[in-house]
Amino acid sequence: MTRWRPTGALSRCLAVGVLGLGLAVGFGDAVLVVLTAPFLLLAALGIVHRPSTRPHVDAQVDHLSMHEGQGTRSRLLISDLDGVEQVTRMATPASFVATHPAHGRIGRLVTDNSSLPVLEISPRRWGRRILGHEDVALTSRWAGYRWGPVALVGNQLQVLPVRAPYASRAEAPQPLGLVGAHRSRRVGSGSEFSGIRPFQAGDRLRRINWRVSLRSRNLHVVTARAEEDAGVLLVVDALADHGRSGGLEGAESSLDVTVRACAALAEHHVRRGDRVSLRVIGPRRVSSVAFGTGERHLRSLLGQLSMVGPGEPRTFGRERPFFGVTGGTVVIVLSPMLSDAVATATATLVQRGLPVVVIDTLPTGMALEVAEGTDPVVAGLAWRMRVLERDQVLARLASLGCPVVAWRGAGTVDDVMRRLARRAQLPQVRAR
Amino acid sequence: MTRGWTPAQAALRITIVAGVMVALLATGLRGVWPAWWLVVLVAGLAVAFALLPEAPMGTVATGLVLAWWGFAFRGGPYPEALLAAAGLLTAHLAAVVAGYGPRDLPPDPATVRLWAVRGAVVFLAAPVVYVVATLLEGQPEPGGIWVAGLAAALVTTVAAGFVLAGSSPEQ
Repeated sequence: MTRWRPTGALSRCLAVGVLGLGLAVGFGDAVLVVLTAPFLLLAALGIVHRPSTRPHVDAQVDHLSMHEGQGTRSRLLISDLDGVEQVTRMATPASFVATHPAHGRIGRLVTDNSSLPVLEISPRRWGRRILGHEDVALTSRWAGYRWGPVALVGNQLQVLPVRAPYASRAEAPQPLGLVGAHRSRRVGSGSEFSGIRPFQAGDRLRRINWRVSLRSRNLHVVTARAEEDAGVLLVVDALADHGRSGGLEGAESSLDVTVRACAALAEHHVRRGDRVSLRVIGPRRVSSVAFGTGERHLRSLLGQLSMVGPGEPRTFGRERPFFGVTGGTVVIVLSPMLSDAVATATATLVQRGLPVVVIDTLPTGMALEVAEGTDPVVAGLAWRMRVLERDQVLARLASLGCPVVAWRGAGTVDDVMRRLARRAQLPQVRAR
Repeated sequence: MTRGWTPAQAALRITIVAGVMVALLATGLRGVWPAWWLVVLVAGLAVAFALLPEAPMGTVATGLVLAWWGFAFRGGPYPEALLAAAGLLTAHLAAVVAGYGPRDLPPDPATVRLWAVRGAVVFLAAPVVYVVATLLEGQPEPGGIWVAGLAAALVTTVAAGFVLAGSSPEQ
C-alpha cells in the first residue's frame, strides 16, 4: 500500500548527523559539529514537514478522440496536495504517439492543482492508441518524504484519419436518389438544359420557351435534367498492411494510404450530400457502416476507419464478401490489389453493371520488409513476381471496364468518373 | 550508465563527486593529506553516489570524510572546515535534486533555484557553530566538555524537531 516514505536524502541527513555528533563527542573535536550542523538542520526540517495526507493520484486526457496530428493534454488529478512540494511524472513512450517533453518525463514544484505538470500528447497515426503507463511520485517539503511512485495505466485514444484536403468536381455516373448535386439522366427541375417539348398539363409557366412557341404556334417548354444525390460505397481492403508506416510525417504503408484516402473520399461525398456507406474487408470478415448522410454519419465512418486493423477472417476464401449494393451506387474499392479475393469481388461488382473504380493504394517506392531468416535476394525476387501478377490482375480489371487509378489526392477520380458517366449514357449489353 | 543523461543531470552528478572530494581534500590546505587509498575509496564511493543519489553510498562516502576529519586534526576548529562543510552540503543538495527522478529527467530550473537558496540559508549553521566553537575554544575547562555541550545542544534541537513532528496539527 502506498504511503509516505523517508527519502534517501532524509536518511542521509539523519545518518550523517548522528555519525558526526558521535565522532565529535568521541574525538572531542568541534570541527565535526561544524561539518554536521547543516545536515542536522535539514533533517529536522524534513521531519517537521512530514505530510499526514493520503493523496489519490490519477491522470485524465482532455480529448479521447481526435484526428492524427492533432494534440491534447494529459493532466494529473491529485486529491490532496497539502504538504506536497514537488511532483514528478515519468511516462513510457507509446507507438506513434509524440509527447512534449519528448522523453515523457517532467518534474515541477507545485503549489496548487493548476501548477501540476502537464503532458502534451499528439498521435501520429490513425487507429486506437493506448498511451504508455506512467509513474507519478510526490515529494514533501524539504525532500523529507516521498509518495509513490504510483503506477497509472495509460488512456486509450481513438485517432481518426487525417482530414486531408480533397476536392473533386466529378459527378457520379448514374445517380439514383432524391435531391443532390449530380446530374441524372431523368428529366427534372435541375439547371442543365435537356430539351424542348410541347407543353403538358402541370408544366410550370416559367419554363415556357416563347421563341419556339411563337414559331410553332404551340406552347413549348424547356426541360432540364434532374440533380440527384448518389450512393457511394467505399470498400476498404484491410487484409494486409504492406510496407512500414512512419506515422504522419513518415513513409506510408498500404493501409495508411487506404484509410486516409477513404477518409478523404468519405468526407468529400458526405459534404456534397451523397449517401456514403463503408465496407471493410478485414479480420472481422466484413465490418460495415450503412448508407447515411450528415456530420454524425461522417463521424461514424471515420470512427469505423480508425478501428481498421490488418488481418484475414477465419472463413477467408470460403465465402465471397457480400456488399449489399443497389443500383445508382458508385463503388470505390481502395486496395493494393494483392489479394485474389478482393480482385474477384471487384470483378463481380463490375459484371453486375455497377460503376466501379479501383484506387490502387500500394505505396510507390515501398521498402520491402524481409522476415528474419529469409534471404533478401529470394524475398526481392518473390516480391517482383508478386507485383507482376498484380499487374496482370489490374490489366484484367481494366479490360472488364473497371478503371484503376493510383491515389494522388485531390482529383484522383475526376477523370475516371467523367469517363464512367459518358459510358453510362451509351447502350450496354449485360449478361444476367 | 551515462546513456540518457541530460546536460543538467550530468552537471549535478559531477557536482556530487566534486563536493565530496573537495571536503575530503580540504585538510590538505593545512598540509594534512589523506592517504591515497582513502582518496581512491572515497572517489569510488562518490562516483557511486553520483550514479545512485538515493542509495546509501552517499552516506558512507560522507561518513568516511567525517571520520577523516576526526582523525586528521586535533584542536581547532579550522576555517578549512567551512570549505569542507560547503562541499558536503553542495554534494548532498545536488543529490537531492538528482534524486527527484531518473537520470534522464531534466532538473526543473525552479527546483534548482529553490534548493540553491535553501542551501545558502542552511549553510549558515556551519559558520555559526564555527564561531561559537572558536569563542569557546579558549575556555580553561577541558574542551571536550564544551564539545559535548555543543553536541547536546544540537541533539536537543533535533529532538525538538521530532517532538514538534509528533505533536503537529497534521497528526
